[in-house]
Amino acid sequence: MSKYSLTPYEKRQPHWGVTLLSVLGLLIVVIVVVSMNTGYMRLSPSEVLHTLSGQGTPQQKLILFDFRLPRIVISLLVGAGFAVSGCILQSLSRNPLAEPATLGISAGAGFAVILFISFVPASSAASIFMLPLLALAGAGLTAALIYVLAFRREEGLSPTRLVLIGIAVAAGINAFQLVLALRLDPENYQFVAIWMAGKIWGGDWRFVQALLPWILILVPFSIYKARVLNVLNLGDQTSTGLGAPVERERLLLLATAVALAGACVSVSGGIGFVGLIGPHLARRLVGPRHQILLPACALIGGLLLLTADTLGRWILQPSEIPAGVVVAIIGAPYFLYLLAKSRA
Amino acid sequence: MVSSKTMKISGRKWVGAGCMAMILFLSACGSNNTADTANSGSAATTAPSAAATTAPSEPKTVTDSMGHKVTVPANPQRVLGSYLEDQLVTLGVTPVAQWSVANGIQDYLSAELKDVPTISYDLPLEAVTSFAPDFIIVGSESSVQNGLYDQLNKVAPTYVLGNEINKNWRKGLTTIGELLGKSAEAEQAIKNYDQKAAEAKGKLTGAVGSQSAAVLWLVQKNFFLVDETQASGSVLYTDLGMTPPNLVTEIPADQKAAWNPVSLEKLSELTADHIFLVNSDKAEGSEILNSAIWKGIPAVKAGHVYELSSTGSWLYSGANANGKTIDDVLKLLVK
Repeated sequence: MSKYSLTPYEKRQPHWGVTLLSVLGLLIVVIVVVSMNTGYMRLSPSEVLHTLSGQGTPQQKLILFDFRLPRIVISLLVGAGFAVSGCILQSLSRNPLAEPATLGISAGAGFAVILFISFVPASSAASIFMLPLLALAGAGLTAALIYVLAFRREEGLSPTRLVLIGIAVAAGINAFQLVLALRLDPENYQFVAIWMAGKIWGGDWRFVQALLPWILILVPFSIYKARVLNVLNLGDQTSTGLGAPVERERLLLLATAVALAGACVSVSGGIGFVGLIGPHLARRLVGPRHQILLPACALIGGLLLLTADTLGRWILQPSEIPAGVVVAIIGAPYFLYLLAKSRA
Repeated sequence: MVSSKTMKISGRKWVGAGCMAMILFLSACGSNNTADTANSGSAATTAPSAAATTAPSEPKTVTDSMGHKVTVPANPQRVLGSYLEDQLVTLGVTPVAQWSVANGIQDYLSAELKDVPTISYDLPLEAVTSFAPDFIIVGSESSVQNGLYDQLNKVAPTYVLGNEINKNWRKGLTTIGELLGKSAEAEQAIKNYDQKAAEAKGKLTGAVGSQSAAVLWLVQKNFFLVDETQASGSVLYTDLGMTPPNLVTEIPADQKAAWNPVSLEKLSELTADHIFLVNSDKAEGSEILNSAIWKGIPAVKAGHVYELSSTGSWLYSGANANGKTIDDVLKLLVK
């Protein structure tokens, strides 16, 4: 990670990390306010304020509290989840390209969800709380498969092989997904297609309830494990030399990352790039120490996805662009820029 | 803001504090909301009942195809039934908004729905709210899955017809008629349609007997064949007594869709006496119709191809659409 030679982190002032986290927090508040004012229905900032203080019309309350706010909270949670998951995966595999989407974990989770949609009629009501669990199972199975395929007794987990096998598995799963999707009736297919593009479609407090426990437990847990991640990031031999129970810790952290990604996929579909760019941005800003890197990832991921979802709602009104597409449109050029810069 | 003493606290504690703040913020959002949801929910349900005081009948509670208990306002004034406009118009109800996709609306209803604003097919919640409907009817279960139903139901009582009923326009019309207190109109409309169809069948049999006819839809260089029981297919084969062509009857039952894709090569085996061609590619030139294979199809050779505008009723179902389809058939085949 030493090639990021002139990052803001290295030019930092004292107390940089804390300042940065506060700035990110403030930015999130700003975007939340903007997002509350963005949508099909015109709500002026004063009307929003009015409604927030509990005095709006029933219609305004409905829009703000039942449609916009849950979506905002879900964007923040999903963004944070993907970014933290990506950060853990990148550190574990010591590969900057690792993230839930490239490793096929998102695809596995998505496949489980699509299987469910295809074979269980839409009328069954239990699906909201079932989806995270299903996605989790799919993500877990895929991760296990990739781990088994990429692991070699002599050399341990090779970072390159992990990513290559992940990409291959993801391609296979996507092919199956397509076959399955082609057999769906048009309306289900449309749902699946939009879902695969990554749309924050679960604009409902129950989705927040379904997702919140995962984020609230797993993100702090990974931050608690920050020192282990710092050590594992040095490579297997060094970590073992430093006295870390490498295999056990790695499995535990891998499971954490997979669970985070699975829970997020179940609510938002396959949003890539957040898990890739979030950690990269965060690392440039706050450096490689996971104690501060992981919280920065969570905040940046949330900020990215919320911004993307807000833009997606606004650019082509009245139709919406899935947040995943917006993230990719913003994310790809930035990522190319990063690559070009790190070469030079 | 931050004293030098607190700065010495290790990074990990700061991180912990940050998490706590985030958790508190989020959970505050959550708990606020539950109270407000309840508020807005009750507000939404009081609005229609206020309107009901002026109406003669009482609001009634019914169960829809997904098992929801739905309280239908006594005399709904602002009905939203996306893609059910044919049924609503037949019953004399003007919806508050009409179905639309990026490239159009149901053109054959443009006279009846002239001043009705459009709403996107996927029912964006804020758009639905902006029309302030007092009753929402949804056609298919799958269009409101994964929580969308509950969201719509917060805007106004929402009734899901379900595929079983929706794919048969007679059943759909009867059900919607019952919901809106217009059963008599629904019954009358079906009776009128059946009578019109019977008369047309008489004329048609006199002109062409029970010859076979195919309905082909050309869109983006692909052909689709209508199913026997859907849209213009049900009109031709069930109501007017024409014979479905070989390619339609050969489709295995478990692979049937309303519109079945068929390749140009496969079309060369089509033995229909007549082809009704709904051409959505006219603007793009529809070059596929100049191909040798197309020109080799027996009905094409015989000059029995009737091109229909994509703005017509042939892609749709309903008393109104099917009536217009019958008019087209008579105009084209009964000279």
